[in-house]
Amino acid sequence: MSLALYVEDGSDRGGAGTPLLEARALTKHFPLGRGAVVRAVDGVDFQVLKGETLGVVGESGCGKSTTARVVMQLIPQDAGQMLFDGEAVGSAALSLKDYRRQAQMVFQDSYASLNPRLTIEDSIAFGPTVHGVAKTGAIARARDLLARVGLDPERFAARYPHELSGGQRQRVNIARALALGPRLVILDEAVSALDKSVEAQVLNLLMDLREEFGLTYIFISHDLNVVRFISDRVMVMYLGEVVEIGPVDELYEDPRHPYTRALLSAMPSMDPDNRTMEAPLAGDPPNPINPPEGCRFHPRCPQAQTVCAKAKPALTPTGTGARLAACHMEIPGSGHSRAPALEDAA
Amino acid sequence: MNSSLPGAPLVAMENVTVRFRGAQTVHAVNGVTLTLEPGKVLGILGESGSGKSVTLKTLLRLLPESRTDIGGSVMVDGRDVLALGPQKLADYRGRVTSMIFQDPMLALDPVYTVGEQIAEAITRHEKIGRREAMQRALELLQLVRIPSPVRRLKAYPHEMSGGMRQRAMIALALAARPKLLLADEPTTALDATVQIQILLLLRQLQRDLGMGVIFVTHDIGVAVEVSDRLAVMYAGQIVETGTVRELISNPQHPYTKGLLAANLHGARKGERLEAIPGAPPALNEAPSSCSFAPRCRQAVEACQNSLPPAVTLGEGRIVRCVQTEAALQPA
Repeated sequence: MSLALYVEDGSDRGGAGTPLLEARALTKHFPLGRGAVVRAVDGVDFQVLKGETLGVVGESGCGKSTTARVVMQLIPQDAGQMLFDGEAVGSAALSLKDYRRQAQMVFQDSYASLNPRLTIEDSIAFGPTVHGVAKTGAIARARDLLARVGLDPERFAARYPHELSGGQRQRVNIARALALGPRLVILDEAVSALDKSVEAQVLNLLMDLREEFGLTYIFISHDLNVVRFISDRVMVMYLGEVVEIGPVDELYEDPRHPYTRALLSAMPSMDPDNRTMEAPLAGDPPNPINPPEGCRFHPRCPQAQTVCAKAKPALTPTGTGARLAACHMEIPGSGHSRAPALEDAA
Repeated sequence: MNSSLPGAPLVAMENVTVRFRGAQTVHAVNGVTLTLEPGKVLGILGESGSGKSVTLKTLLRLLPESRTDIGGSVMVDGRDVLALGPQKLADYRGRVTSMIFQDPMLALDPVYTVGEQIAEAITRHEKIGRREAMQRALELLQLVRIPSPVRRLKAYPHEMSGGMRQRAMIALALAARPKLLLADEPTTALDATVQIQILLLLRQLQRDLGMGVIFVTHDIGVAVEVSDRLAVMYAGQIVETGTVRELISNPQHPYTKGLLAANLHGARKGERLEAIPGAPPALNEAPSSCSFAPRCRQAVEACQNSLPPAVTLGEGRIVRCVQTEAALQPA
């Protein structure tokens, strides 16, 4: 039995040019009472192209995990829309149940993600049986998948989660995410809790599976080295908004948003002769309750000017044009002294 | 003061073993020998279960005495740490050697203000009044660059942000002006932009105060950023030591090489990583052969037969590997 058979919904409905996922003005606020609101995700637009890996980076509280949970529809958005292969999620054309079969998620905590009372083959087979696959068939698939993620089914299928190491459990979670033949897999800090030597094994596995099953990944991580290694494009978030998004090498080598620059220069240098001498940003990431007016980064931005406190910068094409940055210095005629003149843009 | 002789190392651990007794015996540290010169920074690099934190806690005698067997000798600033009686140990902790942790929320007492906690640590070691101790606490908060220190003196830990709590814990650790600061993954839970601030602060404090620091981390990037020398631990043993430069540019032990590759050091996009296969060993027996051999691509028969030799390649440059030894011998 070929594993490719599982990918029942792999039919490319919208064609190669249609993004696999498109988020439009996605918004999620959490009310705290007394009028205070956490603006966890605040009008986020992005696309995930077919077969690519979109890395998502940002400090704690920037909304990257909330974005993942909304994309997965674990929590409903307050506003905005998602299109999956051109069809609105939750519409008559693509019901929530059908969508969830095609989008799966792997979380950071490999132990909390698994039911401690189910053997791992039962955990992996659980989703397919819910979606109508016969139990024996689902178990057979589970065993195939275990072998595929590097766990010998003879040894591991009947074990319980507590009998596995962290790296092994995360392999089980990956196998479970693949059990329904998804097209989109969201990896939310999926390798962050693993030791480096084990993390490298799981990264190799993720790259192999992407190739073999034609998967599309959203890869959320605080580790900028790992994101650079695995991603095709990267999205940088700050206080619930996208500040920059574009091809990974271009973004890492020539970041245009001052926040992206700061984030990248906070990475340890790995060079004892060229150590970091100055921290790029002072203080902690700000609270997403009552974020600043205008550009949300302006109170920490070394290049901030009057316009930055007044007007919210829109995502604007920059670099080779495949990249967008939300900074007044990139917006022609924005009023920032470093902005390109209006006629340059024409 | 029973301070050490001039020129003597600040820390000298000699063949230290740590074994935890219980339902299963765990051989956490298996013959660690290391020295630290005064005013220097040693980074101990290792993964979970490598024994790096246990080694650190041995230096402060923080392990549960009733079920821990410690062997070997531990000298800090001329004192035999393993022989200290209760009173001497209490004087030693904080005054000679102090420690900072990953989670400041656990290291700070939630029911006292930050100022009270720091002042208490000062008056424990010095005969000064409360008012003067509070003044010193304020100076310490200024030293670690906490914004609005006067206000923060009266703040409880939960009223501070993560980076600020980390700074407060550093201030607390420095209260009695220790000669040796032990740091156990102090920046691991922090965002990258805050982590670099704390690393720079520790580097500056270490230089300004002339402290010796042992910095334990699983993150090579962090270790490189703060350390003069590195020791790589695996299964309770130090497998390689050297200067940061030597270890990064010319790693010798197969585990160090694998760890560098796993940190995407020079990794090329889209290419498979040179991952170390398998997982670290269970430590319910003391090692009698190379602990890394089951995962090592270069393992030969000799690796299974006995403990690998500690091969000295230069001053303070030691590698525990039969391959290194073989390479040294003329064919």
